[in-house]
Amino acid sequence: MERNEIFSRLEEVFRDVLDNDEIVLTDTTTADDIEEWDSLTHIQLIVAIEKTFQVKFTSKEILSWKNVGELADCIQSK
Amino acid sequence: MVFNSFIFWIFFAAIILPYYTVFRGKANWQNGWLLLASWFFYGYANWKMIPLLLIATGVFYWLGIQIERHSESEPKRASLLSTLGVIIGIGILFYFKYLGFLVEEFAALLEKMGCIDSKPALRIVMPVGISFFTFKLIGYTIDIHLGKIKAERDALAFGTFVSFFPTILSGPIDRPGEFLPQLKEGRSIDYDNLAEGLRRFVWGLFLKVCIADRITSYPNAVFGNVSYHNTTSIILAAVLYAVEMYADFAGYSEMAIGVSRMLGLKIRENFRRPVFAQNVSEYWRRWHMSLTTWITDYVFMPLNIAFRDWGKWGLYLATSINIILIGLWHGANWTFLFFGIYHSILLILVAATEKGRKAFEKKHRLKGRWFYVTPRRILTFILVSVGLVIFRAKGLSDLGAIISQCGKGFGPVFTNGLLEIGTLGLLSAVILFLKEWKDENQWNIHFLHSEHAWIRILSMAVMIAFIIFAGQWHGGAFIYFQF
Repeated sequence: MERNEIFSRLEEVFRDVLDNDEIVLTDTTTADDIEEWDSLTHIQLIVAIEKTFQVKFTSKEILSWKNVGELADCIQSK
Repeated sequence: MVFNSFIFWIFFAAIILPYYTVFRGKANWQNGWLLLASWFFYGYANWKMIPLLLIATGVFYWLGIQIERHSESEPKRASLLSTLGVIIGIGILFYFKYLGFLVEEFAALLEKMGCIDSKPALRIVMPVGISFFTFKLIGYTIDIHLGKIKAERDALAFGTFVSFFPTILSGPIDRPGEFLPQLKEGRSIDYDNLAEGLRRFVWGLFLKVCIADRITSYPNAVFGNVSYHNTTSIILAAVLYAVEMYADFAGYSEMAIGVSRMLGLKIRENFRRPVFAQNVSEYWRRWHMSLTTWITDYVFMPLNIAFRDWGKWGLYLATSINIILIGLWHGANWTFLFFGIYHSILLILVAATEKGRKAFEKKHRLKGRWFYVTPRRILTFILVSVGLVIFRAKGLSDLGAIISQCGKGFGPVFTNGLLEIGTLGLLSAVILFLKEWKDENQWNIHFLHSEHAWIRILSMAVMIAFIIFAGQWHGGAFIYFQF
């Protein structure tokens, strides 16, 4: 899958789960940049992302992402 | 050696003078000097525990490098080594903190069942600060394993991270990724750091000696002889204990942050005005933050990820395990377990009602409205104070005595201990509340941080004079030293 496509689908998931239509994702976006993104919504995001992209992440992968860019890399590598 | 003692100030002066003169700007020398000072400081508390600290430092230094070395070529081995690090950290904690309790409880059970005649006593002396530095070490190995940080090869810097004297006895629990990079550069005298460090230290001193050590007499008097007191006095003691606990621990943390800042090092914040929390979940995000964020990152998130397919039940389970561990982290006692269970019920209630509550707030535009916010803050304070009564009880029988005494009803309030708190204690608490109120609402009034130098200097002078005049100087150690 193209990286652009991953980002646009990710953006949809983020907007839907976090209930905020103004979210724009870049490689360097982190939880600090989005108010609604906390430790609880993080899990909801992961569940939704796994469902959308039909992938399963390992715990180590999830815990080691530093930003949305690394999350997108991980999806691309699957 | 507590921060609010003359001997600590002499010690600190003896450390900081060479730090900024002969060792100025030389990172290695400064780190080495801090390391020696930290070992001395720790040994001053209990010199017999120095070998444990040294061995733990050496073992984790080696483990860190080994985990990193094998992370690419043999990831399984790296994973095994980081698990070993976690097991060693928990093992140290378990041996010193929980083994004695478990053996005694088990022996008591056997005695009751008639299997043994008398229960053996197992006396394990718990090293001070163990709960704090083992958590730092466990976090260090996990961070390397996850690739978040590089293993530290500079032994002086690593030793300083583990033993750093302002934080070794009671935190804040620092993270290697934030602390270690600061040791790479030499530090020179910086007016902003010194001034900010001094301000934080003086504020912490005020919290400790003008509030915590002054208020403490009342909860001590009431909870110390609870069978003589009625519900009215117990409620007042519970409220005062909540204030004392905050002033004591936040006071300690402010002083630790201040001392570090004067040495040119920034450490983690520990409190963010918990009295303004609108529910218990928010309270835990504002109270003892260096512990709660640690547990969130290293326990809650992995559990929550593992349970993610179980929906909200997975969340409740992860939350419960998380908060019960926070309770038990304080020590081996049934009351800490109950404290954890009590908060886990409250947190589950908050999580279960969150969606509905947010929708309700949105519909009626209640967010930030004082008539909605204030009762919620008061309710949170009451719930937290009840939790602290469980926390403070010496054991289950003590807790039972408090509950049965509360069942006997209200009556005239016990006033003896109140006289000791007096006007000065009350005035200090009002000053604390006003400052927190101002900070919470970001009012643009500044005394210690004013843009005018004369206001800053005058405020500092008044503050110090007030502390000397109103301070309680024969107070004991900090509450959190026992954990």
